[in-house]
Amino acid sequence: MILTPKQLHDRKGEFTVVDVRSEKQINEFPMDGLKTINSNGGSISDMKGSKVLVCQFGIVTEGMIIENELDDTFSLLGGAQAWIEFQSKKEDLSRWSRQTILPEVGMDGQKKLLNATVAIVGMGGLGCPAAQSLITAGVGKLILIDGDIVELSNLHRQPLYGADDLNRLKVEVAKERLEQLNNKAVIVPIDKYLNEENGMSFIQDANVIIDATDNIQARQLIDKFSKEANIPMVYGGLFRYEGQVAVLNVNGSPGYCELFPEPPSGGDTCADAGVLGMLPGIIGNIQAFEAVKFIVGITPNLVGKLLVYDGMSHITQTIEL
Amino acid sequence: MIKITVKCFSQVRYALGIDILNLEFESGTSTSQLEKFIRGKANGKLDGISLRIALNQKYVPDETELQDGDEVAFIPPVQGG
Repeated sequence: MILTPKQLHDRKGEFTVVDVRSEKQINEFPMDGLKTINSNGGSISDMKGSKVLVCQFGIVTEGMIIENELDDTFSLLGGAQAWIEFQSKKEDLSRWSRQTILPEVGMDGQKKLLNATVAIVGMGGLGCPAAQSLITAGVGKLILIDGDIVELSNLHRQPLYGADDLNRLKVEVAKERLEQLNNKAVIVPIDKYLNEENGMSFIQDANVIIDATDNIQARQLIDKFSKEANIPMVYGGLFRYEGQVAVLNVNGSPGYCELFPEPPSGGDTCADAGVLGMLPGIIGNIQAFEAVKFIVGITPNLVGKLLVYDGMSHITQTIEL
Repeated sequence: MIKITVKCFSQVRYALGIDILNLEFESGTSTSQLEKFIRGKANGKLDGISLRIALNQKYVPDETELQDGDEVAFIPPVQGG
């Protein structure tokens, strides 16, 4: 059983809190605001009453409870790390404990995500999975840009929409669904297509732009604004069973117009070429992955590289730009 | 003679109906000559489609001279989303 830091804070009188960490860790990361006892390696199963076990990240104690079949015993989600964070701001970040335990992310990375804004241009096959993954990863604000409405042929690859949403604006439906996933995030729906006049005002507050459009002209336009505003752009594109992803315009790194110099031509849309719904799911998620890595500052990444994914063989190839 | 491997992506793969081509050319053949050869093999199916050339997983200018054992990929832009 699991308890979040907020739940423990609200109900701490009900439990004996047992710290299973080493003395060194306890001294280094003290859990202020909580009366704890040190397990000192003793048998927890002999202790009476309801207990909450605390380790550094909340993983060890979850395992202990399962392995030893401990009754009436809870594991603190996110461990001491999440408690300390909660105490400092009364903000419960244990929700992201499975990613903050990654050394490359940690609490500092999570805070960067919570403070980040991502603009997604196009809420179709790529935009839906990208938005879902970004919102569940804890990105604080999403700007969704698309003037389109939900059509029946969208549903096989755009999982934010259902049959009841037909003819509704995609960005409005997406906002509702994404708020169900994380009601603390800010979702800004813009029910317009990005163009030469409005584009800069739509994307200028973003830390990253996700290019989830379905035509080359829109990609060129995003590239232009991305360069002008010095905001990186995560490009994604599809053709039948194949997808491409690149992180562009990071401090002068190649952009879309360097990736495909003018005049770019060729490549059908999904409507013309066909696509299985899983492919935009994979590619949109890789775009979200790269956006998160960029925001947190994780390397290696796809800056200055083009990733080509083949859904038939599941082989990926990375090409240096 | 030099041996070249051509990896086909997206429309190139569908135009040629194959994933990988193993070819032999005269020494001194350039990437743009190889592109002309590939476009010829596609019988017009690549007309109007721009291609970027990657040599050994790295983008190169059109007139790069090919070497024995090189791996070449022709990458078209894809616009689906």
